[in-house]
Amino acid sequence: MPVSAPGADFLRSGLHASANRIQLRDMLREAACQCGRLVIRCSGEPAGISVCHCLDCQRRTGSVFGVAAFFAKEQVTIAAGSSTAFKRGADSGSSVTLHFCGTCGSTVWWQPERLPAMVGVAVGAFADPDFPAPLQATWDKRQHRWLHLPDEIVSYPQSAVRAAPRD
Amino acid sequence: MCFCKDCQRRTGSSGSVHAYYPEAAATVDGNVKLYSQPGDTGCLVNFHFCPDCGSTIFWTVEATPEQVGVPVGLFADPTFPPPTNAPFVPHKYPWFSVPEGVRQNEGHSEKFLAGAAAALVQRRIK
Repeated sequence: MPVSAPGADFLRSGLHASANRIQLRDMLREAACQCGRLVIRCSGEPAGISVCHCLDCQRRTGSVFGVAAFFAKEQVTIAAGSSTAFKRGADSGSSVTLHFCGTCGSTVWWQPERLPAMVGVAVGAFADPDFPAPLQATWDKRQHRWLHLPDEIVSYPQSAVRAAPRD
Repeated sequence: MCFCKDCQRRTGSSGSVHAYYPEAAATVDGNVKLYSQPGDTGCLVNFHFCPDCGSTIFWTVEATPEQVGVPVGLFADPTFPPPTNAPFVPHKYPWFSVPEGVRQNEGHSEKFLAGAAAALVQRRIK
């Protein structure tokens, strides 16, 4: 659970400047698939949390958008289970390798080619409605018409990060 | 839409948005893998997912055998009709607003619970 109390030992998270929250730097959270066999452990706070309305995220989640928390690779360890990898192209022109549980199908994390130092983690895998809120939403041109996200979530018509130039 | 924690973990999103079709209205093309899990009523939910990418393609529920659940995201169509019911709102993420006019429930709807009770009776008879 996030800790919100002022104190000398608390550090505000780096890139995720969530309002009114001061987080323990060594916060540990576990993200698991639906059947619980595939578990990863994430230490510290994510560098960013993002909603994505792209059609690939819609098909992956089956929901109307994906919600991702991006952690630096070294913040994430596999705590249990093994994953099946699925590599696909992304709307940004780059590619992404997703890791899902072969028993229940839940995607727990992925590695975006254009952000090689980062791991995207499916926020739903934490199953914690108190998980910090997303600060941005990408591909809002694919947003379902009935959906309204809070104004505080900054929307981008497509991807917020430009694809890394290729050699 | 559903905010229960199983739907959160299955989708990886803040909840599921799905459409129910009459069982006869849906046919399957391609390979699916089965994952069955009892829900909190004790009734089984049979999820079918793509073994190559993990996406849930459809599910059947012992409590409502006449229906097939289909994840709305699979249609990849932002103009798909809006949801009408929202169970398990206590598990909703505070930044997500349920659209006006959507029926909200703390848990399952009464109709679902009645179906679950009937299904469990049927199971005992068999």
